[in-house]
Amino acid sequence: MQPSTFKGVRLVCRKEFSLGLREPAAWGAMFMFALTTLACISMSLAGAGLEPKLAAALLWVSLFFASLAGADRGFADEDLARTLPVLRLYGPAQAVLFGKAAYTLLVLVVLAVFIVPLYLILVDVTVTAPLVLVLTLALGLWGIAMTGTLLGALATGATVNHGLVAILMLPLVLPVFLPAIALTAGAFGGAAAATSYLVGMGLYDAVLSVGASVLFDYLWYED
Amino acid sequence: MRAKVLHILTAVLTAAVLFLVFFVVPPAQGLGYYVRLAFFHIPVAWVSVLAFLLSAWWALQVLRRHDMHADRLSAVSAQLGFIFTLLSTVSGAVFSRLTWGSFWNWDPRQTTIFVLLLIYGAYLTLRAAMPEPERRARVTAVYALFSCLTVPFLVFIIPRFYFSLHPQPVINSSGHIDMDPVMLATLIAALAAMTLIYWGLLQHRVIALERKAGDNA
Amino acid sequence: MWQIEFQDVGMRFGARQIFAGLTQTIKGGSITAVTGANGSGKSTCLRLAGHLLRPTAGQVVVTQDGQELRRAALRQALGMVTPELRFYPRFTARENMAFLLGLRGQSLDDAAYAASLARVGLQPEAVAHTYTGEFSTGMRQRLKLAVLFLSGADIWLLDEPGANLDAAGRTMVLEAARQAADAGKLVLIATNDAREEAAADATIHL
Repeated sequence: MQPSTFKGVRLVCRKEFSLGLREPAAWGAMFMFALTTLACISMSLAGAGLEPKLAAALLWVSLFFASLAGADRGFADEDLARTLPVLRLYGPAQAVLFGKAAYTLLVLVVLAVFIVPLYLILVDVTVTAPLVLVLTLALGLWGIAMTGTLLGALATGATVNHGLVAILMLPLVLPVFLPAIALTAGAFGGAAAATSYLVGMGLYDAVLSVGASVLFDYLWYED
Repeated sequence: MRAKVLHILTAVLTAAVLFLVFFVVPPAQGLGYYVRLAFFHIPVAWVSVLAFLLSAWWALQVLRRHDMHADRLSAVSAQLGFIFTLLSTVSGAVFSRLTWGSFWNWDPRQTTIFVLLLIYGAYLTLRAAMPEPERRARVTAVYALFSCLTVPFLVFIIPRFYFSLHPQPVINSSGHIDMDPVMLATLIAALAAMTLIYWGLLQHRVIALERKAGDNA
Repeated sequence: MWQIEFQDVGMRFGARQIFAGLTQTIKGGSITAVTGANGSGKSTCLRLAGHLLRPTAGQVVVTQDGQELRRAALRQALGMVTPELRFYPRFTARENMAFLLGLRGQSLDDAAYAASLARVGLQPEAVAHTYTGEFSTGMRQRLKLAVLFLSGADIWLLDEPGANLDAAGRTMVLEAARQAADAGKLVLIATNDAREEAAADATIHL
């Protein structure tokens, strides 16, 4: 009997969620890390007014670094608790990958809901196109969640862990990063970016997801 | 035998290119003799990209056939690619300083080569951090292929975000070749010579690694 | 009919050669023991059999009625009890069981849960509200067996299954292995225990 992939994805995601709730310290650390990143940037600006383009760039830099505290945890935590063998034995590849990616996306969305309003207040920017901002954030976070999950799986078993995922991740998220900054600048009252950028981001996210899905099989099964 | 022929061919071609560049090619309009650097810069940049694509191709063989020989080819190609990318970045920066007045402009092609440098750097870091050969082969192959996905998007996106100072591509959309025939011939010879140098170094390194692996067995 | 064929299999970790030229056929419907000194590659042999590790030479072919199984299809048929398996330390026994079986597409109802606890000798009230991270080694071993029994796996790969169990526990394991073999399952036990070795129908000595 082949278990349904959708049910498996839901099961893995729910398991991550219940385990996450039992580790409040991990959430605390993640939020404090995000707050620290944000504080670093907004305090060093010291209230200087920002051009929309610069404000957008700094928002995405904060999001990128803040997400590093959560984006790759999916596999790193299993590796730490040494539960990967049991998950490999029972879990089908696609259910594990997409279940973890979905949970990571959830974490990143919660993080963004926390960071973005704070950022808007602290650096004092007005949002002129909220819908564009929300869509851009959603597509950007999807890209980061998918990449972070696959790279987290790659990095298990490495002797050097610190910063490895960040190094691996930057070139891969650039194609979402650059249009996201342009779109966000538009949403902050700068020159409006072409909406085709949104389509481009969505397309790249889809390509990343399909690519990750195909490649993950090679990591999960030895034969 | 074949290797020897290849080495001789590489040496002869490289000598010919050097001769052409220093004694035959006329100074270019607006660039003067600085154009000589272009015959180094363009071939090196070409090999940077070629090495990346070949590394990904061999990575695919690693995943499909668990081929450890392909893993060595892929790894060495990435190492060489990293060096060629560095050379290309540096020669590009010098060229940029001489012709446009500053070392770095975030021109689209400078940006692309910079991203390539980041990918190569990340790949080599990942490789160095993986102790176990089988897993290292597989993990780095996955990364090489995953990072390949960015290529079409970056090629499309970067020119839209960064203003270009580079001249129009030699073969532009109208299909008209915009170059002095002597220069074009020299450039093609230089591209061939640099590709041969890359190939020779690749074979040399892989054979050395193979010998080392054989000693361990 | 399940069968695992080792064809001229060699395994090397770095410079350390574990074994070479291993050719064996392991048949379903019987118990096969793998024996040998420490470091002779018993555990490695089990992981190779389940395709959780690739041999450096030769190949391992798993077939069901002559049909070769690989990747997800093989993983789906696999059940293991080995020291390297660890449960989620912040889940209770039941949560762990429900999650792992759920991944295989099976659900766990109250009756099946209670019956399996009784079968492996775990006290329901002792495990109901305890995270598995706080279990004793023996309790964890019993829980691994409970998941194996419930999973209905057709290939059993057991690495020192009697370790950390009392005499009654060891007997329970051997009886379960015999029952599984009689039901046509393939049972492979890596062991240095004389009783487990004696219970096997065939022995591979590394």
